[in-house]
Amino acid sequence: MRRAPFVGAATVAGLFGVLSFHTKSLSLAALSTTPSSSTSRQTSPSTPPASTPSSPPTSSPATGGSGTPASGGTPPGSTVPPTTTAPSGKASATGPVEQYGYGELNVKVTVSGGRITNVSVPKLLVAESYSQQLAQQVIPMLRSQVLQAQNANINGVSGATYTSEAYAMSLQAALKQLHHP
Amino acid sequence: MIGTGGPGPGDPPPPGAFTHDEAVMGTVCSFLVHPGSAGPDAARGALGEACAVLHRADAVFSTWVADSPVSRYRRGELTLDECPPEVGEVLQLADAARRATSGWFDPWSLPGGVDPTGIVKGWAVERAAGELAAAGVDGALVNCGGDIATVGSLPGGEPWRVGIRHPWLADALACILAVTGAVATSGTYERGAHLVDPRTGRPGCRAASATVTGPSLAMADAFATALAVGGDDAFGLIEAVDGYACYLVRPDGSERFGAGIDVRS
Repeated sequence: MRRAPFVGAATVAGLFGVLSFHTKSLSLAALSTTPSSSTSRQTSPSTPPASTPSSPPTSSPATGGSGTPASGGTPPGSTVPPTTTAPSGKASATGPVEQYGYGELNVKVTVSGGRITNVSVPKLLVAESYSQQLAQQVIPMLRSQVLQAQNANINGVSGATYTSEAYAMSLQAALKQLHHP
Repeated sequence: MIGTGGPGPGDPPPPGAFTHDEAVMGTVCSFLVHPGSAGPDAARGALGEACAVLHRADAVFSTWVADSPVSRYRRGELTLDECPPEVGEVLQLADAARRATSGWFDPWSLPGGVDPTGIVKGWAVERAAGELAAAGVDGALVNCGGDIATVGSLPGGEPWRVGIRHPWLADALACILAVTGAVATSGTYERGAHLVDPRTGRPGCRAASATVTGPSLAMADAFATALAVGGDDAFGLIEAVDGYACYLVRPDGSERFGAGIDVRS
């Protein structure tokens, strides 16, 4: 079983515990037939199952070919050095490729002035058995959560999480590269 | 909501509060600890014990590790008596959950032989939280991939506030619940059709999101699975168990709140 290293980045410590969520008064019934996100998407992880949207600094070793996001080709520890882009304190880093229940993903985070300013998903592989539509919907919303992480008025979030776990691990690793905070 | 001592910037945590993330059981377990009168050293020590509990549970129960005791038990290489004692303990709890839900939770019906995975995480996290409780911390919340066990309360004596993830909008909450004890949520929105209807042996789900609160996270975990598979048919069975309450979002988006569900704004 994959073992991600312990990560103690305080900013995202308890990502699931302190993540901020909109507490919109959503009409569940009204949403049931239109399961689309209202979240604005800064990147578009709309990828066919076997493709890997390229993102500059990824050194993902096994991006080719097979439509099955099988294990083995992606050492969980593979990370990319942070790319400091400006002396203004803005930097970005890409976390390792993590497996989630039905595929693989990694997360790129940009920090500026001590705050997370952008989170994107350079790599997203989705197994055929998993709803591509669901993944496209979930990933941008996970990013949105991270960007809103300062407003928590709850102590935890209960939910069926799987994609978010891989997401959190990759995000935490990316932040660790940036020594953030 | 004011002064709940939560981790938000508007609510400064009590002195000595700390968090910790532990990667274990294929997920991340997040700890939020308010040491209080137990003191920081005892709380940190208990945190170490809690993490050890989780890793041991992983080693014993993982069905992904070919030579774990449970994997060997499933293949018939070990008898139950030859397994570590906690295997029998968990299977007893699983059987209790099976009976309480009239089989809506049934790890014996799964393809490939008995698979206690549906209750192990809750059981392990409950025990991990128990280490913090035994150390006498004022409060703690352990969130392992959405299954949450709590100890004590918030500094003002208020119950913990737990958001229930919206099944279709991951950046939104379906609601916020006041929780004393444990809460588990099951649904297919993250992992696809991984739930199996024990009555057909095929993937089945009668809920978009199924949440159960109660004193034991092991049981809440199993009950949430039952509620996800059984929907309204399982709802009343679980509500009949003393201390447990259900919050169901049906596949059509309509909601049903159990008597013991404490919704907050």
